[in-house]
Amino acid sequence: MNLRLLLLASLILLHGTASASTAEAERRLQNAVNEVLAIADVSSSNNALIESLRPILLKHLSFDAMTRRAVGPGWRQFTEDQQKAAIRLFTTLIVRTYSSKFTPGEHAVIKFNAASAPAPGRVEVPTTLVYQGSHYSVTYRMEEAEGWRVTDVVIEGVSLVANYRAQFDAEFKKGGANAVVGALTQSVDHPK
Amino acid sequence: MKLPILPLILVVASAPFLTSCCATGRKQPAASAAVCGGSDGKSVKAAEGDLNEYSATSVADPLEPLNRATFWINDGLYTVILRPITKGYEFVIPKPVRTGIHNVFENVRFPVRFVNDTLQGNFKRAGYETGKFFVNSIAGVGGIGRPSDHIPALADVPEGDTGQTFAKWGIGHGIYIVLPVLGPSSLRDTVGIAGDYVLNPVNWVSFVYGGYAWTIAIPSTNSLRVTHEQLGVYDSATKSSLDKYLAIRSAYIQHRQEVAKK
Repeated sequence: MNLRLLLLASLILLHGTASASTAEAERRLQNAVNEVLAIADVSSSNNALIESLRPILLKHLSFDAMTRRAVGPGWRQFTEDQQKAAIRLFTTLIVRTYSSKFTPGEHAVIKFNAASAPAPGRVEVPTTLVYQGSHYSVTYRMEEAEGWRVTDVVIEGVSLVANYRAQFDAEFKKGGANAVVGALTQSVDHPK
Repeated sequence: MKLPILPLILVVASAPFLTSCCATGRKQPAASAAVCGGSDGKSVKAAEGDLNEYSATSVADPLEPLNRATFWINDGLYTVILRPITKGYEFVIPKPVRTGIHNVFENVRFPVRFVNDTLQGNFKRAGYETGKFFVNSIAGVGGIGRPSDHIPALADVPEGDTGQTFAKWGIGHGIYIVLPVLGPSSLRDTVGIAGDYVLNPVNWVSFVYGGYAWTIAIPSTNSLRVTHEQLGVYDSATKSSLDKYLAIRSAYIQHRQEVAKK
């Protein structure tokens, strides 16, 4: 009887902590999104937006994990300096891409849908973005490591990290870590 | 009356090349790999950290050199011809009118969605589409407005298309193909585009009333509208890429995979 009660209690507790962490991740994401929108709404130029969004994105996105996973198993053959360079360049690229999606004067509306936890320490938050009259499905993948951080953004089924994984892989096969860092430098220095 | 036969020929001719879905599937992230990837998924993850979270290959691309050539011709075409034309469209026609045009064409495209929902056995969604069509046609004055957006059940109905139907039937992409002007596709989805073309009433007028100028004007306006929207997507997908071709290929295959799940 006692054992059964204990089991039941621990089950309830487990369930409680699981949904509490999901809620925590969601709250964290909502804060991040609100911070971004508050800045995007008052920003007049794209360059100003990049500068003011950078610290916010650094706080809420896990650029280390994103870069590592976008490179894949080849990451182990990167020297420490190459790893640092890759993370730095990839961060710049993502911040710039993200900022360029906002047009000054256009307000984005984001609706949060029910989050799920595909694995312990991982939460996926699906959202609907209404921007310039169109609806987009945007899912944020989040992980808990020193607080909840975004590790991937999936727009209409297209994962940001998977998209770069395809490109980094081709570069790595061409010329290893140097080719990846070279291509990143090229892309950061000469925006298309 | 010649054109409607073309898709049929395409279907028959390409059937032997269409392989099963599994051959070209994107690797699932580790979190869900445990569910569908079998027993070795976890041990690999433990040994390699999180570096195998995503997989690089997405689709068979034996025609890559030809595809790349077509891709770059398209890219040039967008810059030199289509972008100026769509800029003109944007300049001449104000945004509310463009939205109205968009809504009308999307509403008329109803048979594409209805027929494919039905072919997929998704009668519930076919019903929603029918409801949406009547609400927007009547209350939205011929589909200019989208009052269905204010009805929760009808606001976000996933759109059916022929390529999606093939995917639901278990047919894989086959190979990746870059079509002239139209851009990224696969063997399966090219046949799907032909199906969508036949099912879209916009294209019916030229067969029924062929020869009159206005029968060209309607599909052309539709193409202009679609191009205007797609160029925006193309630009944002390639803007920060290392390799435009690979960025678009990955985005296309991932997106179609998502559509097939809906």
